[in-house]
Amino acid sequence: MGGQRAQVIDDREGQQAPGGVTIPAGPPPELVFKRRLRPVQVAHELWAARELVRALAERDLRARYKQAVLGFAWAVLTPLALCAIFTLVFHRAVKIETGAVPYTLFAYVGLIVWQFFSNTMNQGALSLANNLSLLNKVYCPREVFPLATMLVATVDMAIGVGVLGLMFLVFWTAPAATFLWALPLLVIQFAFTYGIALILSVAVVYLRDVRHLLPIITQMGVFATPVAYPLAKIPHRLQEIYVGVNPLGAVIEGYRKALLYGEAPDGRMTLIAAASSLVFLVGGYLFFKKLETGIADVA
Amino acid sequence: MSRDYPLGTIRTQQVWKRFRADQQRMLLRDRVEQAARRLRGDRGEDWRWALRDIDLHIEPGESVGLIGSNGSGKSTLLKMLTRVMYPYAGIIDVRGRIGALIEIRAGIHPDLTGRENIYLFGALLGLKRREVAGRFDDIVEFARLGGAIDRQVKFYSSGMQMRLGFAVAAYLEPHVLLVDEVLAVGDAVFQQRCLDRMREVAEQGTTIVFVSHDLPAVQSICRRGVWLEQGTVRVDAGIKDALAGYRDSIEAQSEATARVGEPLALLKYEVRGEDGEENLHTDEPVTVELTLGGDYRGDATLHLGVSEGTSSPIFQISHEIRLTGGDHRVACVIPRLPLPRGRYTLWTGVYSIGKTDGGTLMSWHSAGQFDVFGPMLDTPPRAVVLAAPVFVPHQWEE
Repeated sequence: MGGQRAQVIDDREGQQAPGGVTIPAGPPPELVFKRRLRPVQVAHELWAARELVRALAERDLRARYKQAVLGFAWAVLTPLALCAIFTLVFHRAVKIETGAVPYTLFAYVGLIVWQFFSNTMNQGALSLANNLSLLNKVYCPREVFPLATMLVATVDMAIGVGVLGLMFLVFWTAPAATFLWALPLLVIQFAFTYGIALILSVAVVYLRDVRHLLPIITQMGVFATPVAYPLAKIPHRLQEIYVGVNPLGAVIEGYRKALLYGEAPDGRMTLIAAASSLVFLVGGYLFFKKLETGIADVA
Repeated sequence: MSRDYPLGTIRTQQVWKRFRADQQRMLLRDRVEQAARRLRGDRGEDWRWALRDIDLHIEPGESVGLIGSNGSGKSTLLKMLTRVMYPYAGIIDVRGRIGALIEIRAGIHPDLTGRENIYLFGALLGLKRREVAGRFDDIVEFARLGGAIDRQVKFYSSGMQMRLGFAVAAYLEPHVLLVDEVLAVGDAVFQQRCLDRMREVAEQGTTIVFVSHDLPAVQSICRRGVWLEQGTVRVDAGIKDALAGYRDSIEAQSEATARVGEPLALLKYEVRGEDGEENLHTDEPVTVELTLGGDYRGDATLHLGVSEGTSSPIFQISHEIRLTGGDHRVACVIPRLPLPRGRYTLWTGVYSIGKTDGGTLMSWHSAGQFDVFGPMLDTPPRAVVLAAPVFVPHQWEE
């Protein structure tokens, strides 16, 4: 080995490669990396990661309830407690008019949606930041992390819906026959919620102090969204703009009409909400994918 | 560019990567300030190249050792191969399933049991639940977890946590296996089992890229070596040549750090073979002659060592000397040099005896290099780490 030695270019600056080729000061501009999103490939990758989404959601659920004594009861207790407060404040004190429908039911429907949104937003926003050590070592489509937190929130929501069923029994009413309208509304609810979670999750990685915004959004949102009151309380001419910004308004209103009042949801409002949530979802996804490439650099 | 390469191929073309060199906190208010500065026309951005113009083509089944000093870009390159990190410019193409043998301890969820973590980690690496279940026993066996598998991971020792992470990755059966510094942690037994596992997957035709500062371990696994320096490929050759070049550079750097203000200095040294000839030969006499200078008076221990470049010697010999304030010449004869063919570095240091026992008179440093001619060292089986090259006279009988 002593005789045939590796060719070593004696150049302290390292400007030359072994072949003696000079390395330029920067890469040729046409080679600069650009993120290209091929929808088919993205969808395929996400589908391939379904097992991972399940495993992550399972991890969160197990970890959450392994420690807590009350276990899954927490998923029920939080909305029920809020519901009790709302009934006292808005029904007894402010006297919100809900027609033939018991106010507690009225508020609880809104709270299920709100609780789902705020759970996904709060947990989803931190989903990347909490998993940075993993993100720095293993590749997977990063959008599965907020998606998994939404799945966890969905489980909580399912429990909440079960409790809603019990409430129907308690108040001795049945869900209206129009309840199937809830399905398209559910899609809008998921699309909007996921869009927000995507935007916030990647924003928190880049800007750590964004997480301090979360409690503010949560606190303000529950009153800014028609959870405790009907959408009609918002001035009529502003309603369309309002629903455009916050599709949850139309979603909650729609659920109430379909489940409690036996009416079809307002078509115009629902369409605006659908369009708006689609914008949030697609915009959020593109934003997420654009910033995703730099996560390992800043983490 | 869209040519289809077989599974297990790694190709990088003109890959560049840069990082922010200016200190920045990830806070919204800093961004606001930054935006304000930018409005005033001051970009204020400072970038540092981490990798420059990396061209690599690794064929399926090749085993490549990535070596280089800290900050040379090894881990960055590996991260880009795993697709965790994205390049600033260039094309990276890794064909097939990528397995990364990396320290995953922090990623394993502490509140879940070992079993739950294995499934979670398997899902992260893209395995179906069924596939993990099929390898479950192998994984538990490799990680030596036994009965602890249904205990929460937070009650594991750190060694158990680490083994758990490796075990899952090691049984993924990927087309490309990327290994980053796994041997730095873990006990000797586990290190050897990691190497054995790497040898197994290499024999199955998996492409391996191995990053480590444990050069003998790299040599035991890899056939090809890529030496990165300051973000560029300095040498891309057979593993022995790449390692030799890298070791030389380590030696050159340690020589460059001047030792000032020490009581003794090495004025002159000479390494010569039999009859004073310059060439040294394996299993033949060698004389090392040193001349020390300095004001120090008293007893001291002189240490001599020979290494492959690093400061850890292959062997070390010492001798008590009495210094009288003037130049001191000392010679050492090794009747039969136990070194195979290669380039070696001579290290030396002097330490006091007496009241200030062990005080440094001349710190351990490399004096220079010498070449040895003779037989090449026999290659050990793969994954067997040769601690140091030593020539042992021997004879085979059948």
